[in-house]
Amino acid sequence: MLTAKENMREVIRGGNPDRFVNQYEAVALLVHPYLMSSPSVKKGGPDVVNPWGVTNSFPANVPGAFPVHTPDKIVVKDIEEWKQYVKAPSLKFSDGLWDAAKEMYNAVDGTKAYKASFVAPGLFEQCHHLMSIQEALMNYMEYPDEMHDLIKYLTDWELELAEGICSNLHPDAIFHHDDWGSEINSFLRPSVFEDFFLEPYQQIYGYYKSHGVELIIHHSDSYCANLLPTMIDMGIDVWQGCMKSNNVPELIKKSTTSRLTSKAGPRPTAPRPLWKPWSAAATSTSFPASPREVPALCTKAPTRASGTPSTSTTVRSSVTSWRTLRTPVCP
Amino acid sequence: MSIEKVNDLVIRGKAKLVPAAVQEALDEGCSATDLLDTMIAAMDVVGENFKNGEIFVPEMLISAKAMKKGVEVLKPHLATGATGALGKVIIGTVAGDLHDIGKNLVAMMIESAGFEVIDLGVDVPVEKFLSTYEENPDTKIVACSALLTTTMPALEATVAAVNAAPWRSKVKVMVGGAPITQEFADKIGADAYTPDAASAAKRAKELVS
Repeated sequence: MLTAKENMREVIRGGNPDRFVNQYEAVALLVHPYLMSSPSVKKGGPDVVNPWGVTNSFPANVPGAFPVHTPDKIVVKDIEEWKQYVKAPSLKFSDGLWDAAKEMYNAVDGTKAYKASFVAPGLFEQCHHLMSIQEALMNYMEYPDEMHDLIKYLTDWELELAEGICSNLHPDAIFHHDDWGSEINSFLRPSVFEDFFLEPYQQIYGYYKSHGVELIIHHSDSYCANLLPTMIDMGIDVWQGCMKSNNVPELIKKSTTSRLTSKAGPRPTAPRPLWKPWSAAATSTSFPASPREVPALCTKAPTRASGTPSTSTTVRSSVTSWRTLRTPVCP
Repeated sequence: MSIEKVNDLVIRGKAKLVPAAVQEALDEGCSATDLLDTMIAAMDVVGENFKNGEIFVPEMLISAKAMKKGVEVLKPHLATGATGALGKVIIGTVAGDLHDIGKNLVAMMIESAGFEVIDLGVDVPVEKFLSTYEENPDTKIVACSALLTTTMPALEATVAAVNAAPWRSKVKVMVGGAPITQEFADKIGADAYTPDAASAAKRAKELVS
């Protein structure tokens, strides 16, 4: 029997996986010194200001933390003067912190699961965390030059983060979080999305790919079917959180056909199999071959299987494990 | 000509150009009411385009912003209350839910349609909806949003509380949000459900007509 990781690789490459695996059995979400040293907001606890200056709130009666965008808390108060307001946090960390992270990565059996560095928020999310989603969305239309410049600044920071992660921790996967839409549509028109985000993500994901990362797993639990060509061009291997509203069977059929004709010439149009997360039952299904160019789609289960953690729970658990480890390493 | 220009600039979301265009139209003798009506009509077009998937959220936002800028120029020329002539709408995302973009879009479209909006924000307890109505008994619509399946019960509780209020017959209740359906709206006793911001503005107008 294949390990969960081997099984997932077979799915990604259009090989012969021997069963459905649970999502986080094949992917170990791991943190890095930036996340380890950033203060995290606790449910029911006080608001926390992160290293970018964004205030996050997590009231006891809500399921997740949110950035606060009351006028006094918004970081970018004037997009034309964003350089005055946005100061990227340092990515210089102590050897002790890197050693603690390495210990966490070494603890994962790399034959059984991908060692996936978790990176969040992504470029789109960071923009709206800094200024509120409404302002960000309007600024793409009204201040495109400033938004391009800001995204370049954020990209440069992410590339520095990537350099630290790859050179110290050597992950073989990246789990990158950036929600690009609501349940029914992308926030941005596809041409606008491509204009702002294709090149920056090609740089970031290209860097990871050229530094030992096998899989780019991108999380966007939203409608992104209209962005799929751009996502493919970005270098995404796995679209995690693909919602049912994307009409997945149709999406696979269409994107498979289009990619085959544009990139690889005529080939059999067998649809890429869905890698179904959270499937409790292991099945031995023979999967048809499928093209490498199309990302695997990890569907967001309408009802998560009992006991299966969400992404945020898994990351929190990883941070908590690290905090337990940290005491003797970095007193 | 100027009035058509204002209409066109609002549809295209040209917030920086609308104030001068409105002023120019006023200077040429256009009535403030006609200009307000043309901007409302422009937002109807924007809403329809959004509903049909021809434009995306940013385009709708900049059109609403453009209209707001135009209304600022018009206000001194309008009778008091003219911009919210259709009545007051209390809107908020229910308790336990911090999502605001959908609610904000609905608020903007409803305001652009000619209502006065009292936006209670997010994570709004039932009591806040009730007390705000009591402070504003001329309110025509209470609109509640829930984006999470886990906050649908809070939406139900909010609507139940409004339904139990002695003033219920004087107000209409609208609900919306990603997991909400017409069936759910009917079950909890809301008067209207709409799937998007543009339809919400249209339905709100129907409810008070």
